[in-house]
Amino acid sequence: MINLTTLQSLAPHALLLLAPEVLLAAMAMLVLTFGVFRPKSMRSVYRITALTLILAIIALLLPLRLPLGDFTLFNGAIIMDDFARYMKCLILVAALAAIFMARDYLERTQLQRFEYPVLILLATLGMCLMVSAGDLISMYLALELQGLCLYVLAAFKRDSLRSSEAGLKYFVLGALSSGILLFGCSLLYGFAGSTGFEDLAGAAGTMPENLGLLFGLVFVLAGLAFKCSAVPFHMWTPDVYEGAPTPVTAFLAGAAKLAAVALIVRFLADGFLPAATQWQQIIIALAVASMVLGAFAAIGQKNIKRLMAYSAIGHIGYMLAALVTATFEGVAGILLYLALYLTMNIGIFSAVLMMQKQDSQVENISEFAGLHERNPLLAFMLAILLFSLAGVPPLAGFFAKFYVFLAVVEAGLYPLAIIGVLASVVAAFYYLRIVKIMYFDAPAEPIQQTSGFGLKFLLVVAGVINLAFFAYPAALLIPSQLGAASLIAP
Amino acid sequence: MILEAVAFYFFAGVCVTSALAVIIARNPVRSVLFLILSFCSAAALFILLGAEFLGLILIVVYVGAVAVLFLFVVMMLDIDFTELRSGLLNYLPVGALVGFILLIELILVFLITLTPGTTTPKAPSPPLHTTPNTNAIGEILYTDYFFLFQIAGVILLVAMIGAIVLTLRPPVQRKGLPPAEQIARSPSDSVETRDLVSRRGA
Amino acid sequence: MNFATISIEHYLAVAAMLFTIGVFGVFLHRKNLIIILMAIELILLAANLNLIAFATHNGDLVGQIFALLVLTVAAAEAAVGLAILTVFFRNRGSIDVERVNIMKG
Repeated sequence: MINLTTLQSLAPHALLLLAPEVLLAAMAMLVLTFGVFRPKSMRSVYRITALTLILAIIALLLPLRLPLGDFTLFNGAIIMDDFARYMKCLILVAALAAIFMARDYLERTQLQRFEYPVLILLATLGMCLMVSAGDLISMYLALELQGLCLYVLAAFKRDSLRSSEAGLKYFVLGALSSGILLFGCSLLYGFAGSTGFEDLAGAAGTMPENLGLLFGLVFVLAGLAFKCSAVPFHMWTPDVYEGAPTPVTAFLAGAAKLAAVALIVRFLADGFLPAATQWQQIIIALAVASMVLGAFAAIGQKNIKRLMAYSAIGHIGYMLAALVTATFEGVAGILLYLALYLTMNIGIFSAVLMMQKQDSQVENISEFAGLHERNPLLAFMLAILLFSLAGVPPLAGFFAKFYVFLAVVEAGLYPLAIIGVLASVVAAFYYLRIVKIMYFDAPAEPIQQTSGFGLKFLLVVAGVINLAFFAYPAALLIPSQLGAASLIAP
Repeated sequence: MILEAVAFYFFAGVCVTSALAVIIARNPVRSVLFLILSFCSAAALFILLGAEFLGLILIVVYVGAVAVLFLFVVMMLDIDFTELRSGLLNYLPVGALVGFILLIELILVFLITLTPGTTTPKAPSPPLHTTPNTNAIGEILYTDYFFLFQIAGVILLVAMIGAIVLTLRPPVQRKGLPPAEQIARSPSDSVETRDLVSRRGA
Repeated sequence: MNFATISIEHYLAVAAMLFTIGVFGVFLHRKNLIIILMAIELILLAANLNLIAFATHNGDLVGQIFALLVLTVAAAEAAVGLAILTVFFRNRGSIDVERVNIMKG
């Protein structure tokens, strides 16, 4: 790890490390200006945004060719390591998908406004900073940056009661959780004497006696658990997922979840590894509650977006179970899980966006009946993704769960692994129910399929990745292991 | 020494009492006013702690901007507050109990575990006893914390975009005509001469 | 705790009280959103008081810088929150969060 002070970080060659972030911020402002002066040319706004995200991915991956190693920039405020690179890559892909998904949808619903891509870019910037946060101040600022963008995006359909209500609920609970997190940060700073994660790790050794640190840790974990919607801090998730415009829901379920999980992993692995016995209890409780609630509460859901919310809660539970191990295998399992979960999410939300009836979106699961006869490709891809979410071998979802539970078993946490497997068996029921409705129920009203190429492309790519992952797992396994190695040595 | 104690107890008392008044006042306008009082006393506490700059900023930003924004919204939205207060007492006993326990725990934590101040600060900092507070903050905010300062700027930009995107409505049906269009009109495409046959109309 | 000489613990106790009042306020006013937003401001104020007290205690400026940035964020948060609240009020004609019943389940 090479540590750079602020002045060294601003040198041109060091600033290259931050190229994706700088690009995102600069282009967000450019798109904003462009949108103000040319409000009619919405297509080019979307093109510029998509191009920016692609360039950011390239800028992120370019330094990989050089043996640069790991860096901390700005006196440790920002960490650039393989973990950060891996997560940023996924987040940028998720943001790109959110842009693709939004274009036609926003046009149809007369929400075509240039602020949408600007807010997506700025939220992505916040998420990129979240995953490379190296101290409490940059963690809090990055969280707030993405949070504020997401609150506005959730309420983006401002004339709809449901959307503004989703924004309001998200905002109130989000602001409360940030407040609690901040209070925790202030305690950590006071009792550890520093805000850097490295110094926190130094102070964490005194944990059981140092009650102040323990209180701070509990408050911060409560705030972070809210951000990744772990039970019992999940209350907002179903309402916000249902009420927000569908592309925003996809962004929340994809990029925002990824960043939140990555942040909690980074915070605990970088800052509190010596005190693992203290926080493992908390994470076990969160993981078990999330897995169980995610499996049972989703059963009665009729709306696909609500169902995806409960599904997200369940999947967060599995990832937290892997975090409990506090080992290299556990973190690698989480990273692989995140990547595969992202592909499933993108695929399913693209499929949902493709289905329309007259001029409204199809969101009710019962309306999927007979989809197989009218849109065989759509139904097939959706079925693959649902099987993958359920964890049916040999699809990608199975391997994601397999590596997570393997890590849990290797760490000797058998009860946790058993609860996880049982929960995923129960959860499989409601995914398979949707497949049954699509393939075996009598067709309801015809569903029109939107013709947009972008959505079809996303759906097919997501489906193929899930289908073909077992043929060449190394493509994701190796990067996820590299990423995990920069947090916890194998 | 005794003066400091008197000042502390006075401001701390006012701060906590008015904070309590914020959440139990009957009228939200009063709540906002108590919020302002609470923030002003907190600013005094900041100054007692030696953070003059932040104390003054708190007054400027909070009392000058945020509290006024609250007041503005309270008055702009025509809200029936008597209805909102119904059922308030349902949560009071449980809430008060939980709050009281939390408070006792927090204070106990401070009393038990606070170690004496570290002599060598880990973060970069100018000599605090010789530099005035504002100078000292300025010296490190724009250098060592340059990056975080920039992010804070981006957050303010997001707040601006967000507030505009949600609440700005384009003016509907402007009465006036755009001048450019008026000037561009020529008589040939708006006036037409016709020969009218009598008793037949146009 | 010695009552005549003011030490760091006194300030921390005030911050703890403000934090508790803020959290209590959020749960007490499940219906009135404006009061909830004010209670959240109180929580942030408590955190700021903590940060500044600890900065004095630790003899560095990190806490003060943190508090300064938190003030910025809190102002931004208030602006966005009140904007969303206004939009919600326009659609619903009330700011009662609890009576929200279009979405259930």
